[in-house]
Amino acid sequence: MTEMIDKLEFFLADRGIYMLSFVMLAIGIYGMVVCSNYMKKLMCMNILQVSIIFFFLTFGQKEGGTLPVALAEVLQAEEYINPVPHALMLTAIVVSLGVTGVGLALLMKIRDIYGTIEEDEITGKGGGK
Amino acid sequence: MMEHLPVLVILLPLCGILLCPLLSWIRASWGKRAVMCGLLGALICAVMQLAQVVQSGEAIHYWMGGWMPPFGIEFVIDGVNGVVVVLVSVISFLTALYSSPFQPHDRQKWFQTAGYYVLVGFLAVGLLGMASTGDAFNLYVFMEITALSGYGLIAIGEEKGPIAAFRYLMTGTIGASMYLLGVGFLYAATGTLNMADLAHRLSGLADSPLVILSAGCLIVGFGIKMALFPLHGWQPAAHSYAHPAADPMIAGIMIKVPAYGMLRFFFCVFRETSPVMQLFFDCIGVMAVCGILFGSLKALRYDTYNKILAYSSIGQVGYIALGFSIGNFYGIVGAVLHILSHACMKTGLFYTSGALKYRYGIHVTDEMGQIYRKMPQTAVTMVVCALSMIGLPPFAGFFSKWYLALGAIENGQYFYVAVLILSSLLSAIYFFRILEKLFMNPETAKEMPVIPTEEMSEESRPLSGGRLELPWQMLIPLAAVALAVVGLGLFNSALVNDVLRAAVEEVFLG
Repeated sequence: MTEMIDKLEFFLADRGIYMLSFVMLAIGIYGMVVCSNYMKKLMCMNILQVSIIFFFLTFGQKEGGTLPVALAEVLQAEEYINPVPHALMLTAIVVSLGVTGVGLALLMKIRDIYGTIEEDEITGKGGGK
Repeated sequence: MMEHLPVLVILLPLCGILLCPLLSWIRASWGKRAVMCGLLGALICAVMQLAQVVQSGEAIHYWMGGWMPPFGIEFVIDGVNGVVVVLVSVISFLTALYSSPFQPHDRQKWFQTAGYYVLVGFLAVGLLGMASTGDAFNLYVFMEITALSGYGLIAIGEEKGPIAAFRYLMTGTIGASMYLLGVGFLYAATGTLNMADLAHRLSGLADSPLVILSAGCLIVGFGIKMALFPLHGWQPAAHSYAHPAADPMIAGIMIKVPAYGMLRFFFCVFRETSPVMQLFFDCIGVMAVCGILFGSLKALRYDTYNKILAYSSIGQVGYIALGFSIGNFYGIVGAVLHILSHACMKTGLFYTSGALKYRYGIHVTDEMGQIYRKMPQTAVTMVVCALSMIGLPPFAGFFSKWYLALGAIENGQYFYVAVLILSSLLSAIYFFRILEKLFMNPETAKEMPVIPTEEMSEESRPLSGGRLELPWQMLIPLAAVALAVVGLGLFNSALVNDVLRAAVEEVFLG
């Protein structure tokens, strides 16, 4: 029994964080499929994007690593954390901001046309005004 | 100058786009001219770089800012994507030209025109970048540039546009996120993002779970972007309700460039064959066959011209994926050739759709009766493109299917040949239905431009009672695309042997 708990602890400490980000990914996709309110769909889309950012940042991490900036002295490469995933995710955050902005603008337009952002009501009306 | 061609293809339209709002503010027509000049410049550079690649027989490697790969971002132009870049720049330029009669004439609305041209320009820049880049993350950024401008162009279309755009935004974001996740797995496995370097470091890792997961994610990501069955859900609405002037570009090339991206990943990056990879290729084949049959059958059910064209695109994208699944020389050549020919044909058909909407407000095939008397040029383009879609020689569509069939026979996959023939028959049914209505139905169309006359721009003023059936800005793209469909058909052996063969054998199968 204790052996199993040890194994579980090891698994959670080693891989648990990845599992969490995949749970988040699943929640995001599930929400986008199931929610009928467009605003909620947009929020779930954000959860999905954050989960991927989370995933990148996690594997860029290193135990005992330090900032990739040459401060007082230059250390060996293995003592720095890898800055590339952070730089990539900075771009991905900007992209997700842009997508969310366009999504919100579209929602305003949809509300102008249909008077609602509930999917059921929009499809129920047959797309008319 | 010559060595900077790959980046000039991106930079020239980008400069045009950035200047566009300012110039439009000074004078309404300058902004769109700036974008068109940028796109024309991109077209010239694209042709020059393709000529350079064909002459030297080697790929051009351009290092951004002089940073060597794998540290910096690299643009790689070989025979295959050189041709794709030329295709994208030609169609973008023609579409920018085609759009100008659709713009509001009112000087107060200069911002609307400027915004439209900025979106078209960004769509072109994104697609050009996706086709030329050699860096996996850079491809993601260009993919999102393309997608964001695409959402805008769909939303400013017809009444249902915003809904279609929002649904596409949801699905498209899942696709892009899946692509990013796949790239993340590859980066975790290798620590590099440069495609050539990835291919090198992945050798011996073909069975690693990271690589398998990444290949799965990339299939979903590219599959959504190229509307491969069963990931096509966003596509029919988006292609039907987009802005009529931008629709040719959205339907013609926006789903082809991701298909090229998929080709690049599955043949350049994942080079090693393993049982799991083979399974993935079979999976793509099953999706392709289902898509071909589903798209063709679904297209039979509709009377709206755009809907028919949109569903036929699902089938046609299936052919491209079928070429990947066949995976030998003829299969890949067929897929690349189908990317080119289908882009021209579908763009042509959507040009005719836009022309019919512009002149008579026709959306449904039933109203097309006798239109050929009034709009002969439009009818010629429609007939040429439709026959090419069915796959009749000597048009482009026949030869791409021919190469696919050759590839399938060489691999002994006769089932695929049967599917090709069956789907050609199905597309013959729905295209001949359109042509029958065009030539046989009684005349019903009334002269009724979609946009009220006072809103139209100067060039389109003499429209009613004028000499031409359409403004010249629309006639040139219609003629050019019809010529391209015939030309791609007649000169296909030159294109395959002189341009594509070296690149396909070296880069994709080497």
